[in-house]
Amino acid sequence: MIRGNNKIVAFCCENSAYLAADKAGRMRLHYPDNVRIIRVPCVGRVDLIHILKAFEKGAAGVLLIGCHEGACQHLTGNTRAKERAAYARNLLKEVGIDEARLRMANIAPDMAQQFVREIEDMTEKTKER
Amino acid sequence: MQIRIGVFLCDCGKSLSNIDFPKVSERAEKLQDVVHVGLHSNLCLKEGIEEMLSTIRDGAIDRVVIAACSPKLKEDAFRNALEEAGLNSNFLSLANIREQCSWAHEGDVTEKALELTAMAVERARFLKPLVKKDVPVNKEVLVVGGGFAGMKVALDLANLGLRTTLVERGLALGGRLEGFETNPAVPINSMRKAIEENRDIEVLTSAELTRGEGEVGDFSIRIKKGDEELSRSFGAIIFATGYRPEISPGDFQLRPGVNLISQEKLTEILKAPERLELRPKTIGFVLDVSDENCRLPTLSALNDALAVKERLGSEVYVFCKSLKVDSEGVEEVYREARDRGVVFVKFEERPRICSEDGRVKVELNDILLGDEITVFCDFLVAEERIMPSEGTEALSSILKMRIDSRGFCQDENVHLYPVSCERKGIFCVGACRGDLDIARASTDVASAVLSTYELLAPGTAIVEAERVKVDPEKCRVCLTCIRVCPHGAIRLVRVDTEREVAQISDLACEGCGICAAICPAKAIDFEGYGDEQILAEVQAIGESL
Amino acid sequence: METSSLVIGGGVAGVAAALALADNGSQVYLIETEPSIGGWAASFCCKATDVCTKCSVCVVPQKLQQVAIHPHISILTDSMVAGLSGGIGNFKVEVLQKPQYIPPERCIACGMCAEVCPTEPKAIRSPSPEAVPYSYVLDESRCLRLKGETCDLCRDICPTNAIDFNHEPEKKELGVGAIIVATGFEVFDAREMGCLGYGRYPNVLTGLDLERIFNREGYLKLPSNGKDPKKVAFVQCIGSRDESHGYCSQVCCKYAIRFARLIKYQNPNAEVTIFYIDLQTAGKGFAQFYEECQKNIRFVRGLPVEVLGTSSGELEVRFENISEGTVKRETFDVVALSVGISPKKDSWDLARTLGINLGECGFFDAKEPLNSNETNVEGIFLAGTCQGPRDIPDSIAHGMAAAQSAMEVLERCK
Repeated sequence: MIRGNNKIVAFCCENSAYLAADKAGRMRLHYPDNVRIIRVPCVGRVDLIHILKAFEKGAAGVLLIGCHEGACQHLTGNTRAKERAAYARNLLKEVGIDEARLRMANIAPDMAQQFVREIEDMTEKTKER
Repeated sequence: MQIRIGVFLCDCGKSLSNIDFPKVSERAEKLQDVVHVGLHSNLCLKEGIEEMLSTIRDGAIDRVVIAACSPKLKEDAFRNALEEAGLNSNFLSLANIREQCSWAHEGDVTEKALELTAMAVERARFLKPLVKKDVPVNKEVLVVGGGFAGMKVALDLANLGLRTTLVERGLALGGRLEGFETNPAVPINSMRKAIEENRDIEVLTSAELTRGEGEVGDFSIRIKKGDEELSRSFGAIIFATGYRPEISPGDFQLRPGVNLISQEKLTEILKAPERLELRPKTIGFVLDVSDENCRLPTLSALNDALAVKERLGSEVYVFCKSLKVDSEGVEEVYREARDRGVVFVKFEERPRICSEDGRVKVELNDILLGDEITVFCDFLVAEERIMPSEGTEALSSILKMRIDSRGFCQDENVHLYPVSCERKGIFCVGACRGDLDIARASTDVASAVLSTYELLAPGTAIVEAERVKVDPEKCRVCLTCIRVCPHGAIRLVRVDTEREVAQISDLACEGCGICAAICPAKAIDFEGYGDEQILAEVQAIGESL
Repeated sequence: METSSLVIGGGVAGVAAALALADNGSQVYLIETEPSIGGWAASFCCKATDVCTKCSVCVVPQKLQQVAIHPHISILTDSMVAGLSGGIGNFKVEVLQKPQYIPPERCIACGMCAEVCPTEPKAIRSPSPEAVPYSYVLDESRCLRLKGETCDLCRDICPTNAIDFNHEPEKKELGVGAIIVATGFEVFDAREMGCLGYGRYPNVLTGLDLERIFNREGYLKLPSNGKDPKKVAFVQCIGSRDESHGYCSQVCCKYAIRFARLIKYQNPNAEVTIFYIDLQTAGKGFAQFYEECQKNIRFVRGLPVEVLGTSSGELEVRFENISEGTVKRETFDVVALSVGISPKKDSWDLARTLGINLGECGFFDAKEPLNSNETNVEGIFLAGTCQGPRDIPDSIAHGMAAAQSAMEVLERCK
């Protein structure tokens, strides 16, 4: 269990990631408790300022989790999020924040195990050393 | 004005034992503007909601925060409850402290539960009321394409009392199935007659769309018919533009000529076999040379093979790689064909086809025999490549609709199947969507008719007014949102003599927020997921960081 | 004249039909024999690799949720049709509901009942994560109390007093104008092909097993020892296109290719082989990754006739490679049987109750080929795989088409 300030903000699309997170809970798949999920209607809603604000406030890592390529209900939401994340990573690099702290992932609503893995991976990567 | 936030914690029958609820309660009470914190055990049940409602009324609470199970379970019920209490249903903010907190982690999760609650409280501060309203919709429907699918749509809609305009590019209705003996048989003639007699169907032949604007409930369409250009308005549009068969000579390495015939030509022959000089001794069908992943050629070939056996009595060969039998009844037809003596020859490598002595010579490696064989056919019926109808791309850009990777209507996104498009109120049926068969086309038609009827029949639609809204003062008319909206829900409207601004159609909007994220002037507000609201949630995490 | 309708079966087709009718303003009764709706598709898995493979499983959760909250839909789980009288526009349906000892409308899914249940395995089980309604279920066959012993542990601990052992089967009579049958399918029991080793060797699986494994775990490990698969074989047409099943099951080639691709993506060094008769690769959105598959998946024309376990725990498959004209034996560590969609064996019960015909292959018979929703009884329509094999998108379309036919009936009744 990670305690302390190693917070991860996960913007989760309500059509896929949010459901996968619920499923992980229902299956009692335990994962680190430092993650804070923010529900969005589509991962394409997530703006640069939301991502940057999270880091500004001290988040250790930020995840954008949406649907698979080709499966976004709003067609282009996940591709836009991917581009935005790439752009954000460059900005973060300039202020000395490791690119690995921001990640865009794609899952489906039934993929509870993959959701847990994303949280665990990001937690591991951003652990205070 | 001071807002009064009520926080309702649910411990799910006291089962969420890894959350110290009294502690959460105590800390939540200290949050700004929180006037009440209550602990409940079954908020999802009627009695729990009743308790909550009386607290809301007694405490004059005007923003409700509920920390309980997943919003996916009870959000709707809670919103209805707020309405009952006289509050706007949007003044609700939920924290998932069960599936995504208590159940998801080992050990004590009180801190996280508190933070999630605080996030929901901060978000609640910025909620604004959302009002439902009725918007009128135009009940008329545009059907593009006068083949089997288009005609059936028009007839079915007319039967349900919706007026349709059926636009057909050609000289007459009928489409590609006209004159073909299909299996199942389609009554093209009687459908055409029924349409002519139906006063609720306007038929425009030799007509094409030239311009399309607007959104569901209010499409403005320009149709060119001869020299005239007609302007019409429709509530919904259904595409039934069919497909275009093409024989790729390169695949056969000889020009389509007398002996390499199209399916159309075979149909002609079968209708009047006595006209032929010589009874053909051998007729061959070749499949999987142009396109391995297509059903239609197999379906036609099987039916035609049986017809040939019946009417011409010739030897029949079907050369194929993989027979596409994944449609209803096709396996049966295949077996019947085999029983009647049709010879199916399977290959892995493409057959070598050439002309010799006035006949078509087909050489290939028959994988079942394991040997090279040569078959001379008097006629070889060429496989047709199924292509999108001419002008599909142009038509799709008139209506700002996506086409799929092969150029057919309707994006390949499974959320759109069977017949929807990414733009509400536009549907695609039949072969124009890609390789299909008559039975599936028929089902498509029924789905589209039903969806259209539900959309338009009441004459009005209920929307959440201005859930996503462009601020006309801030809009810089850069047109980014219009270009970016995946649902084509935004258009330019004139606000005064000098300015046009972007405006979002409440009915066409699907609430994704992509426009709100991309607007460079931050002129688009998305109630419920606005920047203020999302940032408030992020900041609330930050408070305890 | 009744303006409400009955949908029998809560799988994707039934759900699509119910939503379509309810959105149009009609009251819909959706009855389902299981404790939750969703049918097969709700237990299936996403088969995406780095891109979506159009399996359509992800469209299901939203639809189930829409049904759950729809004001015009009443869901009756643990229920079946016991009798029918009347005719189109005016059917009287007798519905029999099994005793719901834990009524879903009272269960808050806290799980405390399962915690205290003394039996092993537990008589009260948690719902599957996708279940709608999400409520706990009592297994009569394991419950001590229902077997006559004294035990009130679950009832005493339930915070909402939901559990009631005095519940009896309930008979309800519903008056409806139209009926849609959407009872779904059964999977062919691969044990009937004993020579292929299903049930004998733990590493012989069916397509259905793969769905469940990926849905739960997210990846495939050998059931026998938990190791990563290295040599995987898919065998097509198990229970279809044979002597007793004169039809193509329509979904198997596609799901096999999707699984093959997924396994290869997760285990890049694995060898994946698909044994087939004719590959069914037509359909919107499929051709694109089929072409890519031809590069790294081995397609062998010819179905295996025998699967035998070796002493080292591998599976020896004997097959004819038709293209090469040779008979071979090869070892694999996993054999996946692509089992086909079969009609439910109890269809004839329902057919008799409703007076509708079964077709030659055992599915419910559609009256005419151009309208595969109509039955021989006016006002009763078919939706989904109970009428014939079809995939998820086609089932949804078929359900909507059935709803359209039903709606025409109801409009006339108004």
